[in-house]
Amino acid sequence: MAASISGLLKPWTPRVFLVRWSRYNPYYLEPEVSKEAYSRPETELSAEEKEQRELKALRPIKAATSGVSSSVFDDPVISKFINMMMEHGNKVLAREIMTQTLENIKKKQVEKYHKASEGEREAIECNPYAIFHQALENCKPVVGLASIQKGGKYYQVPIPLTDNRRRFLAMKWMITECRDNKHRRTHMYEKLSQELLAAFGKEGNVMKKKYELHKMAEANRAYAHYRWW
Amino acid sequence: SFTSPTHMSRFIWYKNKVCGKNVVLLSRQVCVSSALCRKNLAAAGPEKFTVEYIQKQVEEYEIGKRHLANMMGEDPENFTQEDIDRSITYLFPSGLFEKTARPLMKLIHFPLHKAVQWGADGRPFHFLFYTGKQSYYSLMHDLYGKILKIEKHQDRLRAKGLFSQDSQLISLGPSRWLTKEELELLLVETISTHDYDRFIKLMEHMLGMPYSSTEEEFVQRYRRLLEAQSLKQLVPLLEKDENGVAFSTAEGRRKTSDSSVILRDCGSGHITVNGQDYLQYFPVLQDREQLMFPLQFMGVLGRFNLECKVSGGGRSSQAGALRLAISRALLSFLSEGDGEAMRQAGLLTPDPRVRERKKPGQEGARRKFTWKKR
Repeated sequence: MAASISGLLKPWTPRVFLVRWSRYNPYYLEPEVSKEAYSRPETELSAEEKEQRELKALRPIKAATSGVSSSVFDDPVISKFINMMMEHGNKVLAREIMTQTLENIKKKQVEKYHKASEGEREAIECNPYAIFHQALENCKPVVGLASIQKGGKYYQVPIPLTDNRRRFLAMKWMITECRDNKHRRTHMYEKLSQELLAAFGKEGNVMKKKYELHKMAEANRAYAHYRWW
Repeated sequence: SFTSPTHMSRFIWYKNKVCGKNVVLLSRQVCVSSALCRKNLAAAGPEKFTVEYIQKQVEEYEIGKRHLANMMGEDPENFTQEDIDRSITYLFPSGLFEKTARPLMKLIHFPLHKAVQWGADGRPFHFLFYTGKQSYYSLMHDLYGKILKIEKHQDRLRAKGLFSQDSQLISLGPSRWLTKEELELLLVETISTHDYDRFIKLMEHMLGMPYSSTEEEFVQRYRRLLEAQSLKQLVPLLEKDENGVAFSTAEGRRKTSDSSVILRDCGSGHITVNGQDYLQYFPVLQDREQLMFPLQFMGVLGRFNLECKVSGGGRSSQAGALRLAISRALLSFLSEGDGEAMRQAGLLTPDPRVRERKKPGQEGARRKFTWKKR
């Protein structure tokens, strides 16, 4: 008994080389970093959450990565965006660009706030994190297209997307758009802040791209039954 | 016939009756390589032993242990395995580098061998012998018998009018089913994954039936308790230095970095890394965040003094090694519930991710050489 269960508790079994593998055994669970999750008393939890808690007490947990912390300033969405912007492992530069972008957004919004009249001031959002989240939310597509082969021809079939996929597409479009379609002499943080503010106001190239994808999906509605999953 | 060193030649003798006498007329040389005649020892599997053989080995070991104790002038009753190892290294000093090749006196784990399954007349004892997997099929047969018994019990209660749907299900506690390997050990025969899945399905079916608690003892034989992971954490000792300040020491590793941390309960919150201030040593914000992560998670940011030593690796792996060391040192100042919260936050697991080696025939660990059609 001890031999087999200790094999599951060790993070990695040597000499088992698979193509896509993680250094962790599938027995390991993901870590929960936020402090609030542990301060909730027993009474507030549903039956599922109670079961999850019991399971967590019995299973080994993976180590937290170096990008996450329990600090209030740590945002998982922003961390993901920084990782996607990063090139050749230069996390310092990517993080610098992100902080400059948020600062830039704040500056622009505060300028707008001071120039606006009393009635309009309440409508202006100054929190750069809120603007970032709202802009990303506005850019997320609802349906995507998949290339499905039927009868020798490939059709673009509209399919539902998972949350992760939608978030990934929104971030990817944002970054590609800022890298390719802007003037080369502007800094990345400048380009990003312009595009984010535009997306917040539901304008800009990224929103256009999302609407085009929706139109294509609507046009190909007839092929929706080609999807089998 | 002659045998050559590389292969054996066999002469096949043909007998032919000529004039009523057997005369050797033809012989054909058949060359067979010696590799074919050798038994494939690897395919036979690990050696299995009978119960009598194991018992004999154990008796010999015990007698030998007593002799060894007498030789060393020690008490034969209280001679432990460590004493045996010590005596053997004294009596038979070996300079071999390979530890497993040195002289050893230890009882190994003998895998059990099935006793002979049939009597003197050749008739097998068990009625399911001819299935080939008699223990497995007899287990399934017993299990099905239990299910029928439960159903009969339910029918009797229904006839009396005392049947209620959701009563008397077995409560199992934190336990898991036996793994396939453990079941094979129990049955002393090999079963396939399909067989194992069927066994588990049938057990789950039985557990789902009302009034199954009558068979609880039978089911518990095939379950193992899961122990809570938090019990396995090693908490470092809490010591006190000359000024009465409580401190604890811990070490941590990440990739190729090693670190050791002394956590002092001063109340000032100074952090020194390799003699330098932490702001100087870690100019990047992310590394400082990682250092503070365990302290911020527990809400003890300004309370402790950290004296850190770290070597090897890059800036991020040094920060990770320090984070692990700080979390471990912090365990001695916290309660068990807080320790469990830290473990579930992923602070106490050593990160197993290391650099993957480059493979021959590829440019890097994963990148292949450019594919050329010709």
